[in-house]
Amino acid sequence: MRRTLRIIPRLDIKGPNLVKGIHLEGLRVLGKPWDFAHTYYREGADELIYIDAVASLYGRNNLLEIVKKTAENVFIPLTVGGGVRSLEDMRNLLCAGADKIAINTAAVHQPDLITQGAKMFGSQCIVGSIQAKLIDGRYYAYTDNAREFTELDVFDWARRLVDLGAGEILVTSIDQEGTAKGYELNLVRRLSETLTVPLIVCGGCGRPEHVADVAGLPGVDAVCASSIFHYNYLSSVATRENYEAEGNIEFLKKNRGGTPFMSTQLAVSSIGRVKEFLCSRGIPCRWPLS
Amino acid sequence: MRQDKIVIVDYRMGNLFNLQRAITFLGYSAEITSDPAVIRRADRILLPGVGAFEKAMQELDRADLIGVLKESVDQGKMMLGICLGMQLLFTKSFEFGEHRGLDFIRGQVVRFHRSESEITELKIPQIGWNSVEKPSAGPAWEKGILASVSPGTYFYFVHSFVCCPEEPAAVVAETQYGKDRFCSVTHRGNLWGCQFHPERSGEHGLSLLKSFIEL
Amino acid sequence: MLLFGGKTLDKQLEHRPEHVTYCTKCVVSNQRPRITFDDKGVCSACHYAHEKHNVIDWNEREKMLVDLLDRYRSKDGSYDCIVPGSGGKDSGYVAHQLKYVYGMHPLTVTWAPHIYTDIGWKNYLAFKDSGFDNVLVFPNGVLHRKLSKVAFELWGDHFKVFGLGQKALAFHMSVKFGIPLVFYGESGEIEYGGSTKNKGKPYEDVEDWSELYFAGSSLTALTEEGLRAGVFTKQEVEHEKFSFYWHPPLDQLRKIDAQMHWFSYYKKWVPQENYYYTAEHTGFQANPVRSEGTYSKYASLDDKTDGFHFYLGFVKFGIGRATSDAAHEIRDGHITREEGISLVHRYDGEFPKKYFPEFLEYLKINEEEFWEVIDLYRTMSPHLWDKSSGQWVLKHRVK
Repeated sequence: MRRTLRIIPRLDIKGPNLVKGIHLEGLRVLGKPWDFAHTYYREGADELIYIDAVASLYGRNNLLEIVKKTAENVFIPLTVGGGVRSLEDMRNLLCAGADKIAINTAAVHQPDLITQGAKMFGSQCIVGSIQAKLIDGRYYAYTDNAREFTELDVFDWARRLVDLGAGEILVTSIDQEGTAKGYELNLVRRLSETLTVPLIVCGGCGRPEHVADVAGLPGVDAVCASSIFHYNYLSSVATRENYEAEGNIEFLKKNRGGTPFMSTQLAVSSIGRVKEFLCSRGIPCRWPLS
Repeated sequence: MRQDKIVIVDYRMGNLFNLQRAITFLGYSAEITSDPAVIRRADRILLPGVGAFEKAMQELDRADLIGVLKESVDQGKMMLGICLGMQLLFTKSFEFGEHRGLDFIRGQVVRFHRSESEITELKIPQIGWNSVEKPSAGPAWEKGILASVSPGTYFYFVHSFVCCPEEPAAVVAETQYGKDRFCSVTHRGNLWGCQFHPERSGEHGLSLLKSFIEL
Repeated sequence: MLLFGGKTLDKQLEHRPEHVTYCTKCVVSNQRPRITFDDKGVCSACHYAHEKHNVIDWNEREKMLVDLLDRYRSKDGSYDCIVPGSGGKDSGYVAHQLKYVYGMHPLTVTWAPHIYTDIGWKNYLAFKDSGFDNVLVFPNGVLHRKLSKVAFELWGDHFKVFGLGQKALAFHMSVKFGIPLVFYGESGEIEYGGSTKNKGKPYEDVEDWSELYFAGSSLTALTEEGLRAGVFTKQEVEHEKFSFYWHPPLDQLRKIDAQMHWFSYYKKWVPQENYYYTAEHTGFQANPVRSEGTYSKYASLDDKTDGFHFYLGFVKFGIGRATSDAAHEIRDGHITREEGISLVHRYDGEFPKKYFPEFLEYLKINEEEFWEVIDLYRTMSPHLWDKSSGQWVLKHRVK
């Protein structure tokens, strides 16, 4: 029996907006997170991930209101991360509607936080998040939304996170993220062969085939994708919002009509189409929805 | 809309608010409480749960809730145990030792069986969607909370332990995970239990909750 | 030992207001050369940004661009415009737009950085591999380093040496190839708070241009002082032409009617959008870590020594790299002023230690000599720096 692959749209958030960068850099606004979240829920997403892209940068936590608003009408699991640095942060997010907490930067500086979180809320609540970059043939972990280098080897660190109590591991390839060129297969393959907890892979998905590439690896439990979905649903998600509040809204101003972005690499797709594709390749997923 | 009083038992374990939000979304209201007096006045009781069995029983005990839950069962009140909450309904669990449960339904809670060769594909805990199916032995597909759900419907699971009711009649739905075919929905009298999280299982989860509320 | 005994030729120091104030909309201070503030305390760059985002009719401007290009576009595929740049996000954007959107035939030209970073070289190659002819010019390594060494002390900025060549190269190529139309990215003066003299003009006159970039910082002063201090040999000063550091003779430029247009005049200039554009079209990759002294990863990546340019800017004006990056992101609405302030407090003035040894080696100075120059410029800025506690402390911070 094969595992049922989970498809998880990932939403990077700055302030009140969904943003999408490249290599985790850039604050292009695409809309309101809860609008996209609700659409993804209806369209068949298995879970959702919210990451506050600037929380560590500004030393603040901003997602509570967005999480609460999302939880009102989205009834699939929601993982929230970005700048979580205390048990209180975790508790607040869980009460607001998060089911799982993703932790990266704080875990590097204070590994015990993972253990404490796992003890208090359960391991299944704690997702160890790793941002990985390939340098001279080795994968190193980064913190602060890919701004700060650490000496940590990704594979050692992943194992350590599991030992500390993380119930799942989320790995994002900085090199591939936002490029729509596909997941970082070497990284994913190695991790999938050694981890004993569920593995969620992120970074680089540009077309349904990319999902199938990693879903074919038995140790991969879930895939995260952003560009392929955000740019697909952009024109249909509520467009009458006033976006003037903050953020880089140049793209939205020019592209309400849905001019393709990265069209040489990115083949935008609905969640359903991705799942149909996976089914056609013999990869079980939750599809059709009913 | 019925005016039944619905409570969600708060024993400090479990994401109660999402369950409450789901019920609110359905147009009902549920009170989150750890007060035995409030539970006594309830018509329907939801017992959520996330975490470890032993600790859960300790918390229930500390909050003086075991008695009122037993009373409620004896009085025939509708009760739905969710995830760990379902496991607590049983006689005992073998999670980190051997621990007594509420014993409302006879049976045990054991770990997934796992063969070494499957260790990396089908991981423990099971985290993700899986389908609920007709039981291989025992009753045909029941109504009750499964009234609006057909066999093969997917729900969201997060667990390492599974329930094994003694009586086949208590197994109303099963789910396959690797070599384990386990009881995913249990039923006895006015007691129901589901191993998955209906409040996180989208439309079908909401339907199931609605069915429970309207039973 | 200071080479020039504490002398400076940096004329910008003379014009700094004694009293430090910050723009009420962004995070830049009045110390920035040529910036002006209105009576509400809003800086000229923010004023321009408001026009840029709300007033200027960009459709109209684009029409002007198309008219201009229609006049110059070659019919036989020969070069019809020059785009100078590193192949980074700005020049990549300009070159790509001109070629693939407007059908021009650009020749791109690059003045090499002092020391290429890995990411800078990679981006440069990716740029030309995305479909551009390019001429890469390296200055004479010996002379460039000597000039840098002298400039570091005499101008408080070695990077100006790079800047001279960078500014002049396009027009040299213009004359040599006979291509009069040159496209820069943005007018730094208008976009970032310099002189607003040429606001509303698509290009500046060669006279203005030569005055702005070459008059104040004269290479001759560098070589003469450098000779006196024993950095240059008599042979070098008398027989080397240093022609790439000067603009070509103005009459040669006028003869072909060379014009340096700003792309930012015709299309709304948003640096972060250039990042997205070049990431999509020219294979541009952001820095794997944030650049030292700032939070940003997509700006000015190709020179190992540019951190010291920003650091000296911090010393002389109290304006570091984070301030510059945050200021334009605030003006473009990407971040709020509060966020900008937070970033400035966190990163501004961070010492660029990653390439410090290489920089010292490049200038052939030791650490002590480096700090002597830094302290020299700090003592020349008593309105900015205080040492009463024994440590240098910046007196004013944006709030």
